[in-house]
Amino acid sequence: MRTRVLGALAVADFLERTRRPAYLVTLAGAVVLGYLALPPASSRWVIMNAGGYRGVYTSAWAGTVTALAGALWLMGAGFYVVRSAIERDRQTGVGQVLAATPLRNAGYLAGKFLSNLMVLASMAAVLAVTALAMQLARGESSSVGLGVLLLPYALFTLPVLVLTAAAAVLAETIPGLRGGLGNIGWLFVWMVFAISGGGVPLGFGLARASMRAAMTAQHLRPAEFSVGFTQVEHPLHAFAWAGLAPSGGFVAARLAVIAISIGLAVMPAAWFGRFDPARDRARGRVTRGEASAVDPVPQPSVNAALGHIELPHVHTHLQPAAVPGVAAPFADLAAGVMPAARAAAVYRPLPRTGAGPRLAFGRLLAGEVRILVQGTSRWWWLVAAAVDVAGLAVPAGLVKPAGAGTALLLSAAWVWPVLIWSRLGTQRRENGLDTLLGSYPGAYRQLAAEWAAGLALTALAGLGPLLRMALTADGPRVAAWLAGALFIPALALLLGTVTRTHRTFQALYVLLWYAAVNQVAAADYMGTVLAAGRPAGPPALSVAGAGAAMLAVTFAIRAARHAAR
Amino acid sequence: MLLEFVNVAKVYKGGLRGVDGVTLRLGAGLVGLLGPNGAGKSSLMRIGATVTRPTSGQVLLDGTDVVARPDLLRRNLGYLPQDFGVYPHLTAREFLAYLAAVKGMPARVARRRIGELLELLELTGAGKRPLGKYSGGMLRRVGIAQALLADPRVLIVDEPTAGLDPQQRVLLRNLLADLSGDRVVLLSTHIVSDVESVASDIVIMAGGRLLLRGSPQDLLRQAEGQVWETTVPPADLARIRDRHLVSKMVRTDAGVRVRLLAPAPPAPDAVPAAPDLEDAYLTIIHAAPGTLGGASPGGASPGGTAPGGTAREARR
Repeated sequence: MRTRVLGALAVADFLERTRRPAYLVTLAGAVVLGYLALPPASSRWVIMNAGGYRGVYTSAWAGTVTALAGALWLMGAGFYVVRSAIERDRQTGVGQVLAATPLRNAGYLAGKFLSNLMVLASMAAVLAVTALAMQLARGESSSVGLGVLLLPYALFTLPVLVLTAAAAVLAETIPGLRGGLGNIGWLFVWMVFAISGGGVPLGFGLARASMRAAMTAQHLRPAEFSVGFTQVEHPLHAFAWAGLAPSGGFVAARLAVIAISIGLAVMPAAWFGRFDPARDRARGRVTRGEASAVDPVPQPSVNAALGHIELPHVHTHLQPAAVPGVAAPFADLAAGVMPAARAAAVYRPLPRTGAGPRLAFGRLLAGEVRILVQGTSRWWWLVAAAVDVAGLAVPAGLVKPAGAGTALLLSAAWVWPVLIWSRLGTQRRENGLDTLLGSYPGAYRQLAAEWAAGLALTALAGLGPLLRMALTADGPRVAAWLAGALFIPALALLLGTVTRTHRTFQALYVLLWYAAVNQVAAADYMGTVLAAGRPAGPPALSVAGAGAAMLAVTFAIRAARHAAR
Repeated sequence: MLLEFVNVAKVYKGGLRGVDGVTLRLGAGLVGLLGPNGAGKSSLMRIGATVTRPTSGQVLLDGTDVVARPDLLRRNLGYLPQDFGVYPHLTAREFLAYLAAVKGMPARVARRRIGELLELLELTGAGKRPLGKYSGGMLRRVGIAQALLADPRVLIVDEPTAGLDPQQRVLLRNLLADLSGDRVVLLSTHIVSDVESVASDIVIMAGGRLLLRGSPQDLLRQAEGQVWETTVPPADLARIRDRHLVSKMVRTDAGVRVRLLAPAPPAPDAVPAAPDLEDAYLTIIHAAPGTLGGASPGGASPGGTAPGGTAREARR
């Protein structure tokens, strides 16, 4: 019975997710990854570089390289695909329906974990099929070995999928990690694994050791291995590789990863709040639709025997209608006989001046700023202010070379608001205001104000470093700052509008920021990569132009959606 | 002002016709739009509010096509959707001030107006609380306030009484009746009592089409001679419900007192009853081809009553 309930829960959730268009995009991503993992022999773009070599495209190689790449990809992107299973139940109200059934916390969480795993596994399955197709398409080996092709999926990909599915459940049940902080935290976890070459959870060491041993036996000297989409100077040389031969200890370690992950998934049963809004409120979280405050309006009591409504004692203050022809709505109730609603204020029509609507952009912008930063804690503002002050006051010689200190603080200042920027382009939809605001005039004015609110926040966050650069008359860096300030909200607004989720911007922006902080000049959108004290990245005009282009695309998308409404 | 729907149709993906060739002319006054769930009321309201574009047909405001120029209507429109959200961390005042800015209202006018509307809708005391802490009824009243912000000439309200207590429902109905003196007011609902006390003009929709438009008296004439009351033993209830559309049912010591619709006396002791608007509505929906009501005598009634149920049960 319990297994049936668990299965029903997981399958229903799985079907709900896989019937969304976004799921097809993730499957297409799996196909593309499979294609890239087995590139043409002459390609200089590779997914797996075994120290300047690659295996002959056999089932063993096709399975291993796609399984490794898939593990890495699904650990990163897959987390963001599956992580809203519980949040969706919270927002749709299904969670409260389930909470009123005998279903236990552990059962509910296990169902969500299974559903996450099924979604990720379906993506991995598409990847495996693509790997087989690519092996046959490349034609280096026509011998198909399903066992050797799928073994790497069992050894590498499956444990990672289990871990990712469990981490998504865990993150959704810990209040601090439910939102953007969880998204960004997982991004850093993923980056650590990706950069360190796998580590224990991914188990990439086995594949590396096996391939290195094969190459040594063939008198080849491989350089460093890498997994990830990279460009190489020369096409990789092929070597023969028979496939993996895992030891018992390795298999046991992989099983241990799976077991620990399952434990992580059901562990939150100890504190999971079963969608009780009172528990959320106790933690200071306000969720639309869940909170139900005491209505201050005195309630009538219905006296069934007498067949009338008794009203609470209230003071009435009926006023004459302001405009002839518009009567007080409760004038007929003022006599006090059988009133069904208490007397209240009158409706006053606005004077018809004939003046058209105003632009009111300043107040619209103020409203958009308020909406953008709504719910932000004072601690957030304190940290932002501290970074600003530090950016203004940092001694010139504290960090070498000159200007690096300000650059570092600007980097800090422009990653701190990432969770707030990621709301751009998504707030109307996620707060259920699309229909209401769709009937309001000035759709493009609203969009422009939303972007301007993002710009204001960006400027405020980076104000200290800007003033510092302006005081030292550092024109090129001020220009780079201005370009960055235009670029960031435009990127957030575009990604939010297109994908209708915070996560895309959170993931892409942090990757871009990480590259800039690590001195990748091509990714420097804020002028923090310096060469001889000047910004070494793309020209400020290009960055600003990219921002303007993204803004134009956002307007075009909004126009297209409006036309197709 | 004159708002016209001219042969308006909306076809959704998969070929579902949400609205199917509706022509409707709305001048000053309150029009009650009635129909069962899925009748196409909300689709028509969204088209009228410029939120949804019709697949074909025209929507005209004083002769100007507002499908092509939606802002013309939007500047004169107050729209309360059936479902809408709010920004949960904003107070009612902040939320309404933002919407007033979107509408392009002057700051001073907006400030005064928001105060008046909060008082009118009995939200003054809660005006400084975050909307996320409001009850469903309070949020609905905020929705009504936003619809009235710019004193619209056209007011489109979709299921406005949902979530309101009886006292607030009366307040709103009276307000809408009051406003309809010199405005176009289109009120959509599937609760007959919401329109019977305020609308002099009623439109009934089903299956995306207009079935009937007329005064309450016109509707009542449709059910004349078709409403009967009788008392039956509880054991006979299932048979009665299979053969007739039961609109009301009360268990008494003598048996079950039922009110039902039938072209002829359903039992020898059945007595004719004067039809009310709900009887008339059920008669019209029941007779309409292709509607659930027309499919089975004991079948669905407004509000999505399960087969064999009654209209009264559906509303409880």
